[in-house]
Amino acid sequence: MKTVKFAKLDSFTFISHIDMLRHMTRILRRAEIPVKRSNGFNPHALVFFSPPLVLGARSFAEYVSIDTDMPLEELLARFSASAPDGMKVIRGFEEDKNPNLQGKIVASDYVFDAPYSPINIEKFEISYQKKGETVNEDVSSKLFCAWEREGKLAMRLATGNTNLRPDRILSELNARLGASLRVTDIEKIAQYVEIEGKLVDVDEYLTTIEMI
Amino acid sequence: MDLKEKFFEILPEVEKPGRYSGGEWNSPDLKKPVKGDMCFCFPDLYEIGMSNLGIQILYEIVNDQKDFRAERCFAPGLDLAKKLKENDIPLLSIESKKPLKDFTVVGFSVGFELLYSNILYMLDLARIPFFAKERDESYPIVIAGGPCSVNPEPFKLFFDAIVCGEGEEVDLEILKIVTEGKRLKLKKREILEKLKALEGVYVPELYREGERVKKAVIEDFEHAPSLRRPLVPTIESVHDRATLELYRGCASGCRFCQAGFWYRPIREKSADACFDQAVSMLKSTGFSELSLCSLSTSDYSHLEELEGRLNEFCDEHRVYLALPSLRISSFKPGMVDKSRRSSLTFAPEAGTQRLRNVINKNVSEEEIDKISVAFEAGYDSVKLYFMMGLPTETDEDIRGIAEIVRRLQGIYKSLRGGRIPNISVSCAVFIPKPCTPFQWEAQISFDEMRRKQNFLRGLLSKIKGVNFSWHGAETSVLEAALARGDERLCAVIVEAYRLGARFDGWTEHFKWDVWQKAFENCGLTMQEYTRERAESEPLAWDFIDSGVTKAYLLLERHKSREGVTTKNCREGCNGCGALSRGRCTVL
Ligand code: SF4
Repeated sequence: MKTVKFAKLDSFTFISHIDMLRHMTRILRRAEIPVKRSNGFNPHALVFFSPPLVLGARSFAEYVSIDTDMPLEELLARFSASAPDGMKVIRGFEEDKNPNLQGKIVASDYVFDAPYSPINIEKFEISYQKKGETVNEDVSSKLFCAWEREGKLAMRLATGNTNLRPDRILSELNARLGASLRVTDIEKIAQYVEIEGKLVDVDEYLTTIEMI
Repeated sequence: MDLKEKFFEILPEVEKPGRYSGGEWNSPDLKKPVKGDMCFCFPDLYEIGMSNLGIQILYEIVNDQKDFRAERCFAPGLDLAKKLKENDIPLLSIESKKPLKDFTVVGFSVGFELLYSNILYMLDLARIPFFAKERDESYPIVIAGGPCSVNPEPFKLFFDAIVCGEGEEVDLEILKIVTEGKRLKLKKREILEKLKALEGVYVPELYREGERVKKAVIEDFEHAPSLRRPLVPTIESVHDRATLELYRGCASGCRFCQAGFWYRPIREKSADACFDQAVSMLKSTGFSELSLCSLSTSDYSHLEELEGRLNEFCDEHRVYLALPSLRISSFKPGMVDKSRRSSLTFAPEAGTQRLRNVINKNVSEEEIDKISVAFEAGYDSVKLYFMMGLPTETDEDIRGIAEIVRRLQGIYKSLRGGRIPNISVSCAVFIPKPCTPFQWEAQISFDEMRRKQNFLRGLLSKIKGVNFSWHGAETSVLEAALARGDERLCAVIVEAYRLGARFDGWTEHFKWDVWQKAFENCGLTMQEYTRERAESEPLAWDFIDSGVTKAYLLLERHKSREGVTTKNCREGCNGCGALSRGRCTVL
């Protein structure tokens, strides 16, 4: 199993997760990367993604795991040459089995394009529309921390089974910061898995950790 | 903030922003310095427009040039249109997010009458005046092309030039001439005079009574530039696959079919050229489906050879090979096995042999029974296409549709131990179109459409397991009126747009009352255009020379009235006149 870390930029920030799957299949076909297929009645290519990114946001930390025997170097070169401009390969990893990022990732770091000022993340109540109904929710427990990064606000949010979409906190953030952030001002910079109670950056997990 | 940033900011607020964001694989290099550029506009949504083969070919031809670039623009959804206006952003091209107004040439592809109002919708959003004569040198040269150029009169005043026929060669010529003309700061009229000299180009403003405009034809289709690197849509589109055009024109000569006459002469590509093109397209896109597309694909002379080679390639590369629009008469058992579909599509078009003779649809009862081959091969559903309101049609012919359904059910039952198949019947209303032997015919009245539909529905409701669907009567009337329209309809289209007509091809947007009002406000009625035309009467599109002569169309009309069929061109030339425009390779 090989994992490619890539950025989702520019026009591709508006491509949904489901359309990304379609693009991935086509990139792999154009690059002529042989992908193993599942057994069973309806075999499918063994390709696995990290959790979906909200539409309109950029990311420098998307991952796709591909079951192939092609050497990593060659895979990265071919992948790069066949990926559209909105997808940029950052680096690659090799593992002996599926790292199951979709199931394992528990947190993500986002940078919000607003000048940093200290922000209180206690009692963080948001309201959003879900299936036509307004939901009010205190998301403090899904908001792990906030800090300054290159003069901007960065935050770590729950991702995966317990999930906090970064676009859903925008209006509350704007109220607290006096800012006017939009979803296009969000950038994902890292994702984390949890190992023995600690958050570990996915890059580190893929390079150093023995997979459980 | 630049326009692109401003535009990206509003995108998260609209449905399917991937329609507008661009960045498709096989897009041109935006850093390439160019002398002139052209924005191809398609007046429908991205998902529809991206499936248009014509635009993709022209796009590739222009982008293959060192000094030129082609970009695209599709009709934005109503939600985006609203946001564009609110945020004071003009309509932009997908690739470089450049205002349409700043291109050298803006070219509309017009393939369907119900898209006419959307031409104005796009011009309005692009802040380009509707009428050619209101645009001075500061505007791009705005041109049109596509299948509707068979009768450009209803939209002629919106365009500086209209390409009649096939645009592969002439579009690039136009771009070159306009680029040079703009560089030399020529007057618009001087540029238009140069365009008028090109074969296939109609310049409405400079047209003089009695002139003929010859349709542009790619004579050497085998060696003409073909699509090799189609764009890969960023979001799912209607035809998310590689499409291979095997030939132009059609040998069948169905008398209602505009494309069958308009795209003559019949020019087939060799199996080699087709195979080569298919492989390039699949490799350059990563598509996992290939469809063969022509007016009557299964009649292609080298189908067996091509299919054999494609099957091998597709099996090896896990590509699904789809074979659409099979003609029953050329249906062979092998074809069923190879196309792993569960549903078959057949178009007998009319319910009785008599009426099929009238329309020259050479499908016999025995051939319809051949569907049993498909049933034996494991197919359980059949989709049947018919037309209603054909010339000379009686209720007996409508009854014939139900008879066909009943007979197919019987065959299936006897083969499959009493079970019933899924049969769906789809019925369109006949629309007389220019450049066909039926261009003089009347369209049946609105009430008659309703009556016939109800009659057929009644008949089919007595048969178990049949699904019946039909096209809206209102849209058929409008389509018919626009198809055989004249210059006066330009004003009607503007009026309809002003009253709110947009996306008329979409049932949820179509506004019948708006169009009725628009005709009325211009002192016209749709019936004036849907009526029968006298053979002596001049027709609005008579000045377009498609190669097929009016005398031949008339002869075909007379034969149809006598129920006499015309043989397939593969059995010999019928003398339609298209030979004057190039060789029919099937002879
Ligand atoms: S020129 Fe002859 S062969 Fe060619 S399309 Fe016309 S009738 Fe058919």
